[in-house]
Amino acid sequence: MSDIKLKIDGKNVAVPKGTNIFMAAKNNGIYIPGLCYHPKLSQYGGCRLCMVEVTERGRTRHRFSCAQPVSEGMVVKTKTSEVDKYTKSVMEYLLAHHPLDCPTCDKSGECGLQDVTHDLKLSAGRFKTARLDEPMKRDNPLLEYNTNRCILCGRCVKVCKEIEGVGAIDYQNRGFGTVIGTAFDKPLDCTFCGGCVSVCPTGSWQDRTLKFRARPWELKKTSTICTYCAVGCTVVVNTKKNEVMRITSDDDLGINEGNLCVKGKFGHEFINSSRRVKTPLMRKIGILCPVTWEEALDYVAKKLAEIKNEHGGKAIGGIGSEKCTNEDNYLFQKFCRTVLETNNIDNISNIKSPSLNRMIKESVKHGIAASSVEEIETADTLFFVGADVSEAHPVIGSMARKAIRVNKAKLIVANARNIEFNSVVRNDIRLQYKIGTQSLLIKTLTRLIVDSKLLDLKKVEDTTENFKELRSLLKSSDFGIKKTSQLTSIPEEALKSASGLLAKPGKCYIICGKDIEEDPSAENTIKALMDLCVLINAGGSDKVSLVFSRANNNSQGVNDMGVVPDFLPGYLGVNDHTSRKKIEDSWRVTLSDDVSMEDSDNVFDLASKGKIKALYVMGENPIVSYPNGKKAKEAFKKADFVVVQDNFLTETAQLADVVFPASTYVEKEGTFTNMGMTVQRLNKVIEPVGESRPDWQIVCELAKKMGHPYYYISPKLIRDEIGKCVPIYEGIENNNLEKDGFRWVSSVYDKFESLKYSFAISGRKSPALKRNKDYPFILLTGSSLRHQGTYSRNSSSLVSLASECLIEINKNNAQKAKIADGDMVKIESAQGKMKLKAKITTRIPEGAVFVSEDYEWAPINNLRVNGYTNVKISKAR
Amino acid sequence: MSKSKKKSVPKQNETLDLSMAEKILDSYEGMDGSLIPVLQKIQYEYGYLQEPLINLVAERLNISASEIIGVATFYAQFHLQPRGVHIVKICCGTACHVKGATKIVDEFSKKLDVKVGSTTEDKLFTLEEVACLGACSLAPIVTIDEDVHGNLVPDNVDNIIQGTRQQGRAK
Repeated sequence: MSDIKLKIDGKNVAVPKGTNIFMAAKNNGIYIPGLCYHPKLSQYGGCRLCMVEVTERGRTRHRFSCAQPVSEGMVVKTKTSEVDKYTKSVMEYLLAHHPLDCPTCDKSGECGLQDVTHDLKLSAGRFKTARLDEPMKRDNPLLEYNTNRCILCGRCVKVCKEIEGVGAIDYQNRGFGTVIGTAFDKPLDCTFCGGCVSVCPTGSWQDRTLKFRARPWELKKTSTICTYCAVGCTVVVNTKKNEVMRITSDDDLGINEGNLCVKGKFGHEFINSSRRVKTPLMRKIGILCPVTWEEALDYVAKKLAEIKNEHGGKAIGGIGSEKCTNEDNYLFQKFCRTVLETNNIDNISNIKSPSLNRMIKESVKHGIAASSVEEIETADTLFFVGADVSEAHPVIGSMARKAIRVNKAKLIVANARNIEFNSVVRNDIRLQYKIGTQSLLIKTLTRLIVDSKLLDLKKVEDTTENFKELRSLLKSSDFGIKKTSQLTSIPEEALKSASGLLAKPGKCYIICGKDIEEDPSAENTIKALMDLCVLINAGGSDKVSLVFSRANNNSQGVNDMGVVPDFLPGYLGVNDHTSRKKIEDSWRVTLSDDVSMEDSDNVFDLASKGKIKALYVMGENPIVSYPNGKKAKEAFKKADFVVVQDNFLTETAQLADVVFPASTYVEKEGTFTNMGMTVQRLNKVIEPVGESRPDWQIVCELAKKMGHPYYYISPKLIRDEIGKCVPIYEGIENNNLEKDGFRWVSSVYDKFESLKYSFAISGRKSPALKRNKDYPFILLTGSSLRHQGTYSRNSSSLVSLASECLIEINKNNAQKAKIADGDMVKIESAQGKMKLKAKITTRIPEGAVFVSEDYEWAPINNLRVNGYTNVKISKAR
Repeated sequence: MSKSKKKSVPKQNETLDLSMAEKILDSYEGMDGSLIPVLQKIQYEYGYLQEPLINLVAERLNISASEIIGVATFYAQFHLQPRGVHIVKICCGTACHVKGATKIVDEFSKKLDVKVGSTTEDKLFTLEEVACLGACSLAPIVTIDEDVHGNLVPDNVDNIIQGTRQQGRAK
């Protein structure tokens, strides 16, 4: 499509069709004042400041530049005396209303209203001032709203509705009494994404974590990657004197278009928390005492060498971190495999869903999992399978809403819970299946597509291995729509329209969530989902993207880097001779192929059996994050020697013999890999707090003490090595990772493209859901929007916003058990018990209860067992 | 809620029967732009827009409660507070203003012991200011329900109130 040519202030410009004059000018370096228009929001035209003179087809008129699309041959003047007069008088009205309390306003210095006033050289106005004198609204720990300063531009209202899908605030009343407020003037109850603060052009919405601690011009701004979930948003960290003051975002940086979530925006207080571990600690007469680095490193090196000599390397287990960088994790596993000579290394995400790495590798090979996170914005059909996007990956939710708003994308949500996902339209299909029937649901959708011949089945047959067999398998009555509808309790209509939408031409973006990945039947369901994707991909014309949810910022990277027992970096099998040879050659060592996890025992199983004597944990808190908390505690108690390197004295660190203080993400360089396989670079924002050191440096020094000095003096050198010996990261050493980051998938899957895909044929049933008479409820766990791990727990504002972990109970179950909203409830499993506050809801299916696993002070994993956990609930006295 | 559906005064604290509102919402199922007619009909049935009603509409129409309140507070036709049996509308348009409407407002406010925009404790009178009733020749003018009282002076106010009270009892 050819661009439209027009003239703005004598300058010839060319912009795409549909652009408004405001953006055409802005993108060509011409300034037009404006306070209500925002490129990521819908147009409103309320502030009346962006007036320009437009000459079009011989007629000269005044137009609002945000509301007027460009046309061919248009001549625009932004600085005529008429325009100036108009704009100035609009500003005079605004300033007659706006209190000039700039000295006590945190916005001063980065305020849109201030800038426009300054730019127009306004001083005294002609109008009598008429200002509101309402008190500041401070009904929550994160945001405050000042009615008096508001110019009613409506940006916050639109961010809340269009981007966040919440609509917590809107204009209230009219005329002079108009304010922005909540329904019935209730305290703000929203997702607290902070979008209103980001877009507010005045000081009406304020970030309370900054409040009066710094003026905007004192802040140094450094962009880096967020450390919470696996989306990989770019955050701009604002610092003053080596201290983090607040986090902002930049619409032009990163994949998130300036959108953040409550954790990303407000969860930064842990960095400068007084609870940080600032010196190395060593257990002396039973107490962890501060010691020097030298003493701690010497002791650890000596102890690890002793255990290795006595019991062999296999007796040492390593736990890598989903929070640490790729460089940290790469070096950690290299240290474990070469210096400690053990393959007993693992990470929590791999333990939670052991089949996932293989599945992702397979999906990538067949070209269905090759999409970045931000590609969701271009999709036509969205399918969230067991993915609670609003809680686990809120910014993906914002991207999905953009697809729904701009592309008119259709959404299908399949989940055992009726999860919350709001957008401006409600045209989505909800498939709320019964717990444990998810793979049946996916297979039935596949059958419906095949049966109603929505795709070119001949093409599928030609391009795949065994489509005929799949077809005959699907014909069996097991996957009939009637039976499935009964078993899953989803209406037949919904199943039909879902299958129709999936097979419809257009881009289809599927997110496979945690509820699928961590379910006992994960392998079956994921394979069924892959079958469905390959089928649509092969039979339709457009691309299907299957994206696997990852919990933490580098859950993908830690697996890529080979912090798993059976894979060397880049998913090269430990037992595969050629793969091992490749790594051995580049490391110049001989590696053991002994993976002592035969009986599907993981590091913790081995430790609790006494086979592992020492545990080395980097940036992980397994006592809370390992699905079976009791087992983890047992493992750490049983181990002779435990080393933990972390930012805080976590539950795990408290059991350690030595604790190394590690630096957080803002104090180091490196890379994170998000769940869309994009590798993004971290920038160092502040110097390490206290005596803490980056994790890679600690590992380096430990290796040196153990007689294996490494040559790495910066993460860049580690990255160079990763680029050379990890095939999926090939070429990363030559990429400065400045703008779009580095994507690993593309380089690998080209090599495998010729392979034909085999559908799952075995009619293997998923493990059945067992109900227990004594423990009648199934415990469901999941992510929480407001908390994730040690970091959010040590961010005081987040804690005061969400201090209590709730147990969500179905309304009918609660009525029977005589439990009311807000009652304390005792929840008991065969493993343990705890007390939680009840939240009565209809979002949870009957016969199940839901507890978030991200509240570290309410460790629900103490109750959990492998597979489904049966629990009982009663009102606590 | 079984008694006859006269112009009864809805009591708060009573659990609200939402079935009527549900019925209204059902009839607008799937229709775009139905918010205002839905609110009008619900207000007609329930007297004023109470919180549970707003929340129900929000849920059913997928419009946030704050947006609905935004609409309801923008239009003078919607009420979020209970209204009295008699609605006193005092014209404050230009002509009435010049002829001393403010004094009339003050007098009503004093005699009824109620602020403009609210309802007396006995739920008998709601006092409202309106922009113009279109009968400037009778300024200052007040309407109570359908009755028009023109050319008022503050001294008349008491009589009018007493008259309406008796009428109200007769009702």
